[in-house]
Amino acid sequence: MEMTQIAKHRMLVMRIYGELDQRSADEARTVLEREIKRTGAVNIALDFGRVTFMDSSGIGMIIGRYKTVSSLGGRIIVYDASDQVIRLLEMAGLDRLVIIAPTLNEGIKLMKRGM
Amino acid sequence: MRNNMKIIFPAIPENESLARTVCAAFVLELDPTVEEMSEIRTAVSEAVTNSVIHGYNGSGGDIEIDAELDGRTVTYTIKDNGCGIENIEKAKEPLYTGSSDSERSGMGFSIMEAFMDKLEVESMPGEGTVVKLVKKIEADDE
Repeated sequence: MEMTQIAKHRMLVMRIYGELDQRSADEARTVLEREIKRTGAVNIALDFGRVTFMDSSGIGMIIGRYKTVSSLGGRIIVYDASDQVIRLLEMAGLDRLVIIAPTLNEGIKLMKRGM
Repeated sequence: MRNNMKIIFPAIPENESLARTVCAAFVLELDPTVEEMSEIRTAVSEAVTNSVIHGYNGSGGDIEIDAELDGRTVTYTIKDNGCGIENIEKAKEPLYTGSSDSERSGMGFSIMEAFMDKLEVESMPGEGTVVKLVKKIEADDE
């Protein structure tokens, strides 16, 4: 995974590679929690464009981060996700809690509109 | 066609990927859709993750998967000798998690149920859990 920051939006952008399962979800959690504390970011954007697989461990990781950023008044954007990932997010009801967008720019637009 | 396969591997997170990949590959002969492959991968991943996290709680042990193909119907039987499940009905409720780790979504059984045609769970506390997943691979209409 790769991390960048958009200071203007107080946002961490994490690009996830390959399979998001128990092992990689634990890693993503650790890195994101650490970087939120370190940078003072309140929003998280997750780039799913290179994710080839996700199971409920990924859902758990997103719910966990949703709790963290909600308490800071921030949002989560999931963008460029496959149909398989979107189907799982919808099953868990996460489509009502996080912003699902085709691109980062679209996600940021929705965030600004308070969607 | 009829075919069968048995794999036994240690219950470590690294083997979740191995298990779902091998189980999905087992039906390749039937020319499944991308979606069917993805559903099998995800359901098997949920069952194996349950064994690793809840069954053995990280303490180690083996997981055994028996796969059986009968015509276009595939059955995966995923067995562990871990701590078992006290209340299967409760465990199957969406969002219920038997884990103290708040990071577990509690979606495992719901996903297995949604992605496969049939889900059966047998478990005895202290003895282990057997999860049976059945799916029919639809024939290509062309």
